[in-house]
Amino acid sequence: MNRNPAKAAATAAVLALAGAAMSGCSAAAEPEGPVQLTFWHGYTEADGDVLQKIVDDFNASQDEVQIKTEVKTWAVIDDTLLPALSADEGPDIVAMPGERMPVYADRGAFADLGDWYGSDDGGTSALNEQAVDMVTVDGAPYGVPTGFVPLSVFYNKTLFAAAGITDAPTTWDEWLDAAKKLTVDADGDGTPEQYGLALPDHDTVANGLWPSLFYGAGGDLVEDAKTAVVDSEENREALDYWVSAIRDDKISPTGLDGIGADELFSSGKAAMHVGGPWMASIAKDNGIDYGIAALPAGPADQAASAIGVAMGVTAQADDAKVEGAEAFFSYFLGKDVATEWSLGSGWPPLRTDIAADAVSDNPTVVALTDIAPTSRALLPGVVNSVDVLDAIDDLTQRAVAGEDIDGLLSTAQDAVQSALK
Amino acid sequence: MPRTTRPRYRPAAPLGGRTPVGSTRRTSMIALAFLSPALVILTVFVAWPMLSALRLSFTDASGFGREEYVGLENYVRVFTDPDVLQAMGNTAYYAILFTPAAIVIALVLALLVNHPLLPWRGAFRTALFVPFVVSLAVAAFAWSYLLDPQIGLLNHWLRGAGIQLGNVLQDPVLAMPAVALVAVWKSFGFYLVIFIAGLQEIPGSLYEAARVDGASAWQRFRHITLPMLSNTLAFVMIVALIAALQAFDQIYVMTGGGPYGTTQTVVMEIYTSGFKKLELGFASALSYVLLLITLVLSLIQFRFFGRREKDAQ
Repeated sequence: MNRNPAKAAATAAVLALAGAAMSGCSAAAEPEGPVQLTFWHGYTEADGDVLQKIVDDFNASQDEVQIKTEVKTWAVIDDTLLPALSADEGPDIVAMPGERMPVYADRGAFADLGDWYGSDDGGTSALNEQAVDMVTVDGAPYGVPTGFVPLSVFYNKTLFAAAGITDAPTTWDEWLDAAKKLTVDADGDGTPEQYGLALPDHDTVANGLWPSLFYGAGGDLVEDAKTAVVDSEENREALDYWVSAIRDDKISPTGLDGIGADELFSSGKAAMHVGGPWMASIAKDNGIDYGIAALPAGPADQAASAIGVAMGVTAQADDAKVEGAEAFFSYFLGKDVATEWSLGSGWPPLRTDIAADAVSDNPTVVALTDIAPTSRALLPGVVNSVDVLDAIDDLTQRAVAGEDIDGLLSTAQDAVQSALK
Repeated sequence: MPRTTRPRYRPAAPLGGRTPVGSTRRTSMIALAFLSPALVILTVFVAWPMLSALRLSFTDASGFGREEYVGLENYVRVFTDPDVLQAMGNTAYYAILFTPAAIVIALVLALLVNHPLLPWRGAFRTALFVPFVVSLAVAAFAWSYLLDPQIGLLNHWLRGAGIQLGNVLQDPVLAMPAVALVAVWKSFGFYLVIFIAGLQEIPGSLYEAARVDGASAWQRFRHITLPMLSNTLAFVMIVALIAALQAFDQIYVMTGGGPYGTTQTVVMEIYTSGFKKLELGFASALSYVLLLITLVLSLIQFRFFGRREKDAQ
């Protein structure tokens, strides 16, 4: 009879555990006092520290709004924002890569900031127009840019000197010429040991490499977020030019993706690379004496696709919180803070009225600020950018693999158009 | 005359003695109490999400609360969207590559490792099982470095032997076999262990009798090993097929569905639709279609092997 009390106790314990597992959490009581906002962002490097200081300064400068930041990686934000907002556990302000914004905005995740932009409280009129396009869907702005920088050419000064090249190329022909000189196949086995220019053909940095090349020839991907203009003479010209450079002159490996191109450059195996501001610190860490230059001008234009990051107010925020967020945005876009943020993040200033000499402390920023006017937002206002970019990746990857360009352009045109409806 | 009591007729007691009245119910209650934590977890984390997903599959939900009932629209789209149809074709191709390869390799190695004369059997078994313990995503990273056209060891070694691999993961023909290979490498250990267990259940006397009758190794395999293994084979085939239909990890890491969508599987498509394009309703519908296909295929296999087992007996 010893078993029965033990059994009864065990049964009770098990039932208690089951009961505890089923009990819900009690709701937290609302605190009184200043409006509390949570801000998710993915600035995980030194730039995150600068942003934190800006937020702390804002919190200290007034009593009505207090912002608390949570730093996660961009990928984690993208994966967790949706479930968090569904459970009302999401942030009030969230920053994300620019091309993801329209997807969320279209689904009602962000608050419309049109009135705030209209009132020009925060100096929004001084913002780079293309940067504002990046956060606009169907005429309504849903966010504030926190970073907007054109892709630029990073080149290896040591390899340039070895090949006798003194200046960075400024036109496509000069660029191709330099790339050919910098492609070295010492053992003659058909596979160069050193490539002149790392040109990925899919999953490129911010998906912006090939659009930049299209812009250079006078072409584009999408017009007004409604019409596909992929199948054009200009795009054909750009593809012909660079595909033959890759396949015939072997200036770059085929089948490369953006990350592979980063690695080729930082391991010194490619003399030139098209990338973003982070390549500056990566190059330095890998001991590469690097220079930054604008994307060379094509036959029709000099333009580069921009890498953009923006922040918006989520639908979870009530009116008081939206006002608080807008106050923070106004503070963030003020001239002094914008300069501080530019120097700290290593990206050019968001305001067009901040001159290059105001950011002269950081030479990378100066170089990029000079290039900034050539930047163009990629697919502004396009909601289904995932399918559009997939179609473009298909186009460029197959073209570099040697398939017929006319047929590919036609297929891509259809695919992009059906993604835009 | 001494009084003798004749024993009354009693039916044979059931094993463990006769159970007193009312105790069956108490035993069930206790059993239920011990099962309840697991049942609660299963309900909360499996059953409830499944029902929720079923509801979502009939809406155009994006996860932000604004959703409308759209009836069977998502399901119609599953069978008409060219990307989805390509993904289904790819998944079928992947299953055809993965399932026979994993099972045959596991079976052959099980037969070898089970051989009575093999020394250090334990060491071999462990070595063969180790890949299964590694996380598939980690294995996929390692393999993508091995196959890298610039720095990959495999490319380097094979170049020495005169074979130019090129960029395997971006080759529309080689990419799918490559990702299937990684899964086979990682999973065969599990099936190997199950086959070894199955092989050890076969009585040695059957083999001796066959040997005495003059049966060759192949005949012994065909007429003794295979029929006696049919239960195990059935289990392994169903499990391998289910795993193949759910391929995601290594494809996400190694090719991202490329090149040109040739390695895009159904689960990759679910992930892209649900989390990249925020089309939760459609993703849920696609998940359910996958579930139904898996269920039907498993039932077919189950039936097929059920019949064979009866024949074997």
